[in-house]
Amino acid sequence: MVVPLNTYVLISNFKLVYNLLRRPDGTFNRHLAEYLDRKVPANANPVDGVFSFDIIIDCSTGLLSRIYRPASADEPQPNITELMKPVTSDVVPIIIFFHGGSFAHSSANSAIYDILCRRLVGFCKAVVVSVNYRRAPENRYPCAYDDGWAALKWVNSRSWLQSKDKKVHIYLAGDSSGGNIAHHVAMRAAESGIEVLGNILLNPMFGGQERTESEKQFDGKYFVTVQDRDWYWRAFLPEGEDRDHPACNPFGPKGKSLDGIKFPKSLVVVAGLDLTQDWQLMYVEGLKKAGQEVKLLYQEQATVGFYFLPNNNHFHTVMDEITQFVSSNHE
Amino acid sequence: MVLYDSSALSAGSGGGSGNSSSSSSKHPQTDIDGLLAGAGYKVRSSELTQVAQRLERLDTAMVNSPADFTQLASDTVHYNPSDLASWVDSLLSEFTHTSALPADGPGFLIDPGVNQTVPNSSWNDQSAPQIRRNVCFEQNQNHQVTVVTAMEEDSGIRLVHLMMTCAESVQRGDLGMATSFIEDMQGLLMRVNTVCGIGKVAGHFIEALSRRIFQVVGHISGSSAYENEILYHHFYEACPYLKFAHFTANQAILEAFDGHDCVHVVDFNLMHGLQWPALIQALALRPGGPPFLRLTGIGPPSPDGRDCLREIGLRLAELARSVNVRFAFRGVAAARLEDVKPWMLEVSANEAVAVNSIMQLHRLLGSDSTRNSPIETVLGWIRELNPKIMTVVEQEANHNQPAFLDRFTEALYYYSTMFDSLEACPLQPAKALAEIYIQREICNVVSCEGPALVERHEPLAKWRTRLAGAGFRPLHLGSNAFKQASMLLTLFSAEGYCVEENEGCLTLGWHSRPLIAASAWQAAPDGASEVGLINGGGNINNNDAL
Repeated sequence: MVVPLNTYVLISNFKLVYNLLRRPDGTFNRHLAEYLDRKVPANANPVDGVFSFDIIIDCSTGLLSRIYRPASADEPQPNITELMKPVTSDVVPIIIFFHGGSFAHSSANSAIYDILCRRLVGFCKAVVVSVNYRRAPENRYPCAYDDGWAALKWVNSRSWLQSKDKKVHIYLAGDSSGGNIAHHVAMRAAESGIEVLGNILLNPMFGGQERTESEKQFDGKYFVTVQDRDWYWRAFLPEGEDRDHPACNPFGPKGKSLDGIKFPKSLVVVAGLDLTQDWQLMYVEGLKKAGQEVKLLYQEQATVGFYFLPNNNHFHTVMDEITQFVSSNHE
Repeated sequence: MVLYDSSALSAGSGGGSGNSSSSSSKHPQTDIDGLLAGAGYKVRSSELTQVAQRLERLDTAMVNSPADFTQLASDTVHYNPSDLASWVDSLLSEFTHTSALPADGPGFLIDPGVNQTVPNSSWNDQSAPQIRRNVCFEQNQNHQVTVVTAMEEDSGIRLVHLMMTCAESVQRGDLGMATSFIEDMQGLLMRVNTVCGIGKVAGHFIEALSRRIFQVVGHISGSSAYENEILYHHFYEACPYLKFAHFTANQAILEAFDGHDCVHVVDFNLMHGLQWPALIQALALRPGGPPFLRLTGIGPPSPDGRDCLREIGLRLAELARSVNVRFAFRGVAAARLEDVKPWMLEVSANEAVAVNSIMQLHRLLGSDSTRNSPIETVLGWIRELNPKIMTVVEQEANHNQPAFLDRFTEALYYYSTMFDSLEACPLQPAKALAEIYIQREICNVVSCEGPALVERHEPLAKWRTRLAGAGFRPLHLGSNAFKQASMLLTLFSAEGYCVEENEGCLTLGWHSRPLIAASAWQAAPDGASEVGLINGGGNINNNDAL
């Protein structure tokens, strides 16, 4: 099993930083977090064929999103007034992306997520909307989901994001906590009749009260500990709730049934060295049992964060699958 | 195990797919890791390993003293987090000042707070991992470093991997690379328990490798005979190997001398004569009375006018007198065994001769193409003497291989096992010096070549062939010897040692790995040995030796 050296350095660094930020009393050193987080500004000038800009989606909550678009060949320098020019292809997937960070860390303008979103645009020829949702512990459940839902409604109502059929072809995607958010936003969409074409969940963050085999087996071995997972759930879930809360454990004892619900097809990526994999696999099983379409991509030798740097096979495998996933509806 | 190749670590702009970050795609400093740059961190590719090590160090420290760490978080001033190497270093130095973590430095520092103890870890012990998340740095064919994280590997095995890779560089002649591995290993040693287990052995091997790389000629190769004897004595005391050797040889000699009134023992390495009191006493108790015992002790010349051999002889004579054994001693001083000529031994015709070699024959295996190999010379005149018995005890290891890496690997395994066995022995002052004795062997095996390399251990199978070819036939060490050796072990009462019988020879080892082998030989009758005639001539009697 090998982790490339630079990936190792990157993720170890995150682990170290995150350890510095979490306090045993459940509070979070937000000031230091923002200082240490490597952020990049949006760039309306295309770089490698992708440009980005930030917009406010909801003034009342200050919800920002960063939008990434492919630059068109014939217009290398988009005008500031043309940032929201209508998409030109017949079919353009719009991927609403929720960054990871266990509900507490990172932002839409974090460097690691900025590059990831740019790569998604490149691979999928999509527009990516990266949502800067409110984070724990300052903003607990359901703030992140509310922000996701707000972003979804906003995206769905943008005429400039419509494909030729006058519909916005929406996909929800996210890694870690972002994957969890994608699921719950998709639930709300299904209940409200907004069509989501697919969910892409990269190492989604789920959990439960029970301690699973993978948690015991991998505790502390690959950058993540059960202890830190517990901390983040305590920070996100409503006070006094345990990890069987449906936000954390959607197919657990308090979960809602998905039977008969028009839930989007899902692509779930699970890293074989992730201690939460048992919960992720149970999520996949839960979808299957409810008769929902789901594809599992189990990357046996991958650790958390394998998708941050394009220096391993898992990265490319997963990117190819995602590309196919958002294009399979279109022939 | 899949290793990623160097192109995955390409510096320069962005990654393979061309979708680089929004920052500039040109990096003036070509050594900066392009992928990490996209993530907002400027780290030189050449520094990646170090940064990784330090991150790990901080992680371990955090695990061990979380309170100090939280303090660190709130108190430290964080300069430029993008300069990851400096940021990590500043954290590390902050932490060093606020806690028990030892600062970087030479030598083996043991911090019980930081180091995870690897109790009694033998080479094959793959049970509970000792440190939770572990990193091993390996080189693939393209000389690129990748990081291996493996669940069950502990620091000890990482060290082993590093040592092997270093030895391989040495064999290739890439001393620059080997040197950097030495540095890595010395860093790793700081975080490993070097009081016992693989950390301790690793320390010795790394030292030996350093000596080889930096061509250190020092006290080890030029140590005094006096020092050697002291260390040998402590090695004798601390663990059962030499006791086993003496015991087994004496038993065989005793049996061979049965019925003879004049006996002559030639000891190839007298040292303090530790082997002989037991034989003298056994002869004293022989039914029918003791023989007249002559002992010829070979040893290095004594410095400054003393005659150490004679002094030992006198003490043995005292003992012999006290048990009524007629005894005569003669010392033969020779710097090397091959300098001894049979006439010096003054063997008379009516004596039953026993030649006793405890870990000496292998020293004769260095060959010089311009002359007869010393081993053949010496074996030749031994055979000429037609001894009643030749007792041979040798390290059961294959350290005489021409390729350095093979030798290194074998030695690592052998001495790890030996150190493990030493750990099982009761704690006594003798252990520390016994260790130094072993360490000197290690140093010779690893850092020396040519005439300086004297620890040319060969396994029993090879000795069998060699001795048969030199005109000897094996004498089976009887079941008596086996029983006595096993009893010795029980008396010694350290769990884990085992005596085994191997086609008439006895071995003593640790947990099924034999470490020392004892055998007995006699000159084969003329004509009976066709194999391997000395010097290719038809004449077995090698007159050239005289």
